[in-house]
Amino acid sequence: MLDAQWGGVMVFRGRETDLYQAQTGADARELLGSHQAMLMRLGREAHGEIQTLTLSFDPPLAPSGGGHKDREVADVTFVPITASDDESLGCLCLIRSKSATSNGEKRLLHALASHAALSLENFRRFSQLERSKRQWVEDIDAISDYIVVHDRSFRIVRTNRSLASHLGVPPAALVGDPMSSLRQIAETRSEIPCPFCRDTQQAREEYIVASPERIFLVSTSRTPGVSDDDTRTIHVLKDMTDRREAERRYRELFDSIQEGLFFATPEGRFLDVNDAMVRMLGYDSREELLRADVGTHLYPIVAERERFFTALARRGVLRNYEETLRRKDGTLLHTLQNITAVRDASGKIIQIRGLMLDVTEQRTFQSQLQRERDFNQKILNTTQSMILVLDTAGLISYANRRAFESGYREDELIVHRLVDWVEAAQRGDFEAALETTAHGHQVENLELRVRRSDSSIGHFSISLSPMRDEQGAVNSVVVVMTDITDAVLLQAKLAHSEKMATIGRLVSGVAHEVNNPLAAILGFTDLLLENPAIPENAREDLQIILHETQRTKDIVQDLLSFARQRPVQRELVHVNAVLRQTIKLRSYDFASHGVEVIEEFDENLADALGDSQQLQQVFLNILNNAYDAVQEVGQRGRIAIRTSQQGSNIEIAIIDNGTGVTDTERIFDPFFTTKQAAKGTGLGLSICYGIVRAHGGEILCRNNEGEPGSTFIVRVPVATEAATAAAIAKEAGR
Amino acid sequence: MSTSPILLIEDEPSVTAFLRAALERRGYAVEEASSGAEGLEKLGDREYSGVISDIRMPGSVNGAEVHAWIQENRPELCTRIILISGDTANSDTQQLLKQSGTPCIEKPFRVQQLLTIVEKTFGKP
Repeated sequence: MLDAQWGGVMVFRGRETDLYQAQTGADARELLGSHQAMLMRLGREAHGEIQTLTLSFDPPLAPSGGGHKDREVADVTFVPITASDDESLGCLCLIRSKSATSNGEKRLLHALASHAALSLENFRRFSQLERSKRQWVEDIDAISDYIVVHDRSFRIVRTNRSLASHLGVPPAALVGDPMSSLRQIAETRSEIPCPFCRDTQQAREEYIVASPERIFLVSTSRTPGVSDDDTRTIHVLKDMTDRREAERRYRELFDSIQEGLFFATPEGRFLDVNDAMVRMLGYDSREELLRADVGTHLYPIVAERERFFTALARRGVLRNYEETLRRKDGTLLHTLQNITAVRDASGKIIQIRGLMLDVTEQRTFQSQLQRERDFNQKILNTTQSMILVLDTAGLISYANRRAFESGYREDELIVHRLVDWVEAAQRGDFEAALETTAHGHQVENLELRVRRSDSSIGHFSISLSPMRDEQGAVNSVVVVMTDITDAVLLQAKLAHSEKMATIGRLVSGVAHEVNNPLAAILGFTDLLLENPAIPENAREDLQIILHETQRTKDIVQDLLSFARQRPVQRELVHVNAVLRQTIKLRSYDFASHGVEVIEEFDENLADALGDSQQLQQVFLNILNNAYDAVQEVGQRGRIAIRTSQQGSNIEIAIIDNGTGVTDTERIFDPFFTTKQAAKGTGLGLSICYGIVRAHGGEILCRNNEGEPGSTFIVRVPVATEAATAAAIAKEAGR
Repeated sequence: MSTSPILLIEDEPSVTAFLRAALERRGYAVEEASSGAEGLEKLGDREYSGVISDIRMPGSVNGAEVHAWIQENRPELCTRIILISGDTANSDTQQLLKQSGTPCIEKPFRVQQLLTIVEKTFGKP
């Protein structure tokens, strides 16, 4: 009826197209020839209604005499095969000589196509079902958990491969066996003939079943069927042994670790804490701590918890976060924490996990150490002594603040040898002391002259103490240096005035004792001279005795003047005027011997309180000495006299360019003189010393620095109102 | 009146010897006491025209105390005392001399110095 030269069905399988032809054999393929691809493409494009296209073909597909000599045209009818869901399943294809398709033919073709569609759809469904069934078994078998299905009479319906291989048999071998044959795996120890069932009335159950070796989590579900045969119980046995072990190990670690571990909610409740954490915070039990509110119970200041939470929210992780918490008993706990925030998908913190170290002891120790360090630092910095640390080679490795305040620069101290600062002549002493210290012995109060930063020499009291390393070997030396120059000077002054006082007492006694025999000698000499019977030559000798006795009397008088100062008249003294009068007394000698006298007077000088007569004696004495000194040198003499007020004293400096003084310390001692024997009693300066001391002042002598000559300095107190009033009152009381 | 001697209180024999020689040559009678205590003892029961005393003497009584005793017990001799001192610069001595106006000779002295003061204080022998 359809009168086709060629007919075929195309079946679509994904992108592939299978072609089934009505004619079979080599002829058929030949017949279609090169047109196959074109037909299959057009077949794929055909949808919905029956389509007829007129195409040109090579013979013999096209009927002869249809047109061209070698290419003939033919009608090709495509009948799409469509599934119920409108999916293209395939296409019927007919090649006929060109003639219209009648309605009857169309109905036939439709009916064919819908049958084909039904068949194809069914075929597909079955093969899909088969595939998915196969896949399911494979999937079940791939699961490592043991799966077993049994019926109501506790006979095995099915097992998966892992269960079967656990028993060493293929899965099919177990089908039909009683469930009790699986007891060797594990069992619940119930009366039920299935080792994995507990309560057969429950649709779902989940529980742990253990064997001596393994632990299983058994998930059971029961599906009631229409008949007893359909009722199935499925057990899935999950081997928990490893997980349990891991969990046990984790717990053990969690609880045995010395650091505190915790899980907490962002609101401030602990979810879990370990024993160390409980112990650290001083709680009695884990449960008690879990009940505590972190914010109010653990934080001494609630705001601190906010600060902590803000920091955690911003950074996500807090490393070595220092936090002071409160123990249950209220004492403080210093902690070091490492915290991680656990967030949900939206970024909200859902849990806080942390590790906590108790650093209270370290902190206490640290703060104690810090306090000690501060204390030592304060001592080091505020002491009036220089404190240096030397290495064993004697190089300075540390100097305290005082050292730098004394003027030493860091670059001339640090890594320099301290011995280089010691006066050359005493370096040996210092080296010896350092050696002693290096052997572990302390050296106390070594007095050395040390060069100061301004190059002046100071007297230092030096103590050296060894410092030892862990092995006990001396590895450095602490040097404490105190500038005792002032004390040494004061000591020297004191010693000097004590010496002078002793000399004073001595000469006073001697003078008294000398005066008695002297009185007798002088007296009897006088009486002899009155005697007319004495011959003239003896009279001349007696005159010499008389003269020498007189001279002795003068010496004794001077000695007594020095030893026992005459009381000082307390009156206002214009020192400049007294000096001018004194200079006038010697001005003739000065002028005639070419000695230049330079007056450098402070014309605003305050009055001194004292005895102008005695002070004049002092100035005259010093001027005479200066005159003698410049005379001896033989070049043009110069004496400068300078007055000034120095604090509460008036200072008179008499500076000459003469010979200088051989011993400035002993110059005020009685009979200490550098002059020729006949020139004086050797008591002039001793008397000056006595006078000035009686005025409450001081007199000293030093050689000029860097130029010839010496300088005498006299200091007498300024007449303050109070001192003057007191002096006047005393005078009136006499 | 001129029969009464001058009491010489002096611990130093050489000085005593010189004073006696000088005074006796001028016609004065002299009696000696070698300590302050002995001087006071003699002053207690004998008449003297005047007293010459050293200030500084060993023992319990010195010249200042002799002076004080005379003022207390023999006021008529108050103006007839001459003191001898080895150290007039001594402040105690100065104080004594200034307050009492008593004449004083400073050791060592010339014969003429002695006689001038003696004549002035005790009169001629």
